[in-house]
Amino acid sequence: MGPPPPPRPTVGKFAFIVKRLLAGLLVLSTLVVSIFLLFWYGPRSPVQGLCEQRTNNRCTADFRAQLEENFGYNNPMLSELGKYVAGIFTGRDIQLGANTFVECSAPCLGLSYRTFVPAFDELVRRLPATISLAVGAAVIILLVGVTSGVLAARRRGTVADKALVSATLLMSSIPYVLFALLVYLYLNVINEVFPEAGYTPLTENPVAWLSGLLLPWLALGFYNSTQYTRFSRGAMIDALSEDYIRTARAKGLSSRTVTFKHGLRSALVPIVTIFGIDFAFLLAGTIFTEIIFGINGIGRWGLEAIQIEDFPVVQTTVLFGAIVVIVANIVVDILYGVLDPRVRIS
Amino acid sequence: MTLPQAEVQTQSTEPPGAPQSAPKAIAGKSPTRIAFDRLRRDWLAMASLLVVLVFAVIAVFAGAIANLFGVSLETPLASERINLISQLPLEGPPFGGFDPEHPFGVAPRVGTDNLAVWLYGARTSMIIAASAAVLSTVVGVIVGLLAGYLGGVVDRVLMFVTDLFLTIPFLLAALALAPILSDRFGTDPQRLGEIQFYSVIAVLTLFGWMTMARLIRGEVLSLREREFVQAARAIGVPTHRILRKEILPNLVAPIVVAFSLALPAYVAAEAGLSYLGIGVVDRPSWGQTVAGAVQWFDVYPQYLWQPVIGIVLLVIALNLLGDAIRDALDPKTRR
Repeated sequence: MGPPPPPRPTVGKFAFIVKRLLAGLLVLSTLVVSIFLLFWYGPRSPVQGLCEQRTNNRCTADFRAQLEENFGYNNPMLSELGKYVAGIFTGRDIQLGANTFVECSAPCLGLSYRTFVPAFDELVRRLPATISLAVGAAVIILLVGVTSGVLAARRRGTVADKALVSATLLMSSIPYVLFALLVYLYLNVINEVFPEAGYTPLTENPVAWLSGLLLPWLALGFYNSTQYTRFSRGAMIDALSEDYIRTARAKGLSSRTVTFKHGLRSALVPIVTIFGIDFAFLLAGTIFTEIIFGINGIGRWGLEAIQIEDFPVVQTTVLFGAIVVIVANIVVDILYGVLDPRVRIS
Repeated sequence: MTLPQAEVQTQSTEPPGAPQSAPKAIAGKSPTRIAFDRLRRDWLAMASLLVVLVFAVIAVFAGAIANLFGVSLETPLASERINLISQLPLEGPPFGGFDPEHPFGVAPRVGTDNLAVWLYGARTSMIIAASAAVLSTVVGVIVGLLAGYLGGVVDRVLMFVTDLFLTIPFLLAALALAPILSDRFGTDPQRLGEIQFYSVIAVLTLFGWMTMARLIRGEVLSLREREFVQAARAIGVPTHRILRKEILPNLVAPIVVAFSLALPAYVAAEAGLSYLGIGVVDRPSWGQTVAGAVQWFDVYPQYLWQPVIGIVLLVIALNLLGDAIRDALDPKTRR
């Protein structure tokens, strides 16, 4: 096919990033609008939950109509969508009663029907719990998954390798909710190996933070590490069969140097990119873990909001989850081009 | 598939009545035949298949099996079976021995028979998983076929929608959708349970079709450039006929594999939704029992273990079977 093409100018990479960001923005705005529409047209009355809440479950049609009027559900959909989107950028005042207004500063995602606190403020308040959970689990996933994968790849074909792979397959066949539940019941309730499951802010008491999160970290981390064992084993086997590995061995480098300095570095590229997306999903929804171990994070907040039809909160959690995943996708796409020089960005 | 066989027949120089030699008999096997033979030799696959079939029989004949054991979902009066103070069963587990009237014991507080609930729970799980798998396969195949074959704007729009759905975390979306669906369609309180049942299937389908769509699209992209498709296009075969008669038959293997691996995922997802309290309400389900059994676990662990074993056994068997089917259909993994 003739001489190899000349190296692409850096403008190409920059244009790619801009293009990727624009595409992400398009997905994001589509999501904001469709989630708004879902909650606008979806329920029979979007304020039913609020009405029950304010009247101790004796919601009358009159009061509900009053609330619908106050919250603007009688106005045209487009003008309310406009207000919602504008509120995200500039903030707005939301009318609660006849003369009561609540200030909802930017980015305003509506008021919680339960507490009448802006949903975004509550989201920020609960974020540290979810982030703590996700980061700790991520560390375990990477440490356990990649280490065992590399070890299995080095001992490829042995009994230990086969046993490890079958064990991970079996473990990932168990539904996570059951796994986490049994871990919780046996190690916290029955045997009290980890007696204090729960979340304490790191700034408040670092020891309690650590001891409370240890069990959820282990459950979430070990369960999700299984796919990384298999994945990094495969990536490592691919990397170790490359020619430059043979060259490195021929130069007389030690097996350890070859495996970790030459092999692992290239095997890590696909692992890191997949991990980026998985980490986003950890941030977006560790609902089971939060419910089972009693951690007041975003997933649990969403579930509690569902039970009392607190739709602005539900809307906020879904939106948050989707945004995290979109951002992670963009970051991973860009990083992949940076990390792997073989990738031709198109 | 007819072409290779025809070749084999023309090459055959033996008279019709003569015994066929072994290599030629193998050469005449269709790919499906080979896959079935490989599957039959795989003892792990056969064991998994047996487990799955047993569960299928349980699901279909739940009522008859319950009658066989003399158990039913109805409880005459909870106080006949339940100690009203501790709310635990009077006979059978956790404290008593085996109670022949209730082989799995009875549930705490309400006193329903555990075996009956378990049997009907198997039915619920499998109906939901199977319907969701079938529906999401149909949706995914249609989207993938259209996007891959038509290309252009259709492809771009369909893939945009697919990626959009992939960015929404499933559980959060299910949490948001399930109550809206049951609120919107559950106007009649008597039919609310039924509506909830269908809304679970709808939610699982709505967020489960994307992987199939992407898989099929990828396959179609390469298939549509093949000679036999181009030939069909050249002689003016209409698009829908090309899709049905030329492309779809070549997608059977990936569809079967993806379908068989989707089934266990749906069984697990249904259990998870029920555990969160947004699953079915009008009929027993394993996830529901799990959610209810947690608070009794320290005194009555058997009550939790029954549905857990059901789910885990079914999911593992389905997963192993799916893996085996994939290996059997893949010509590259000859063992």
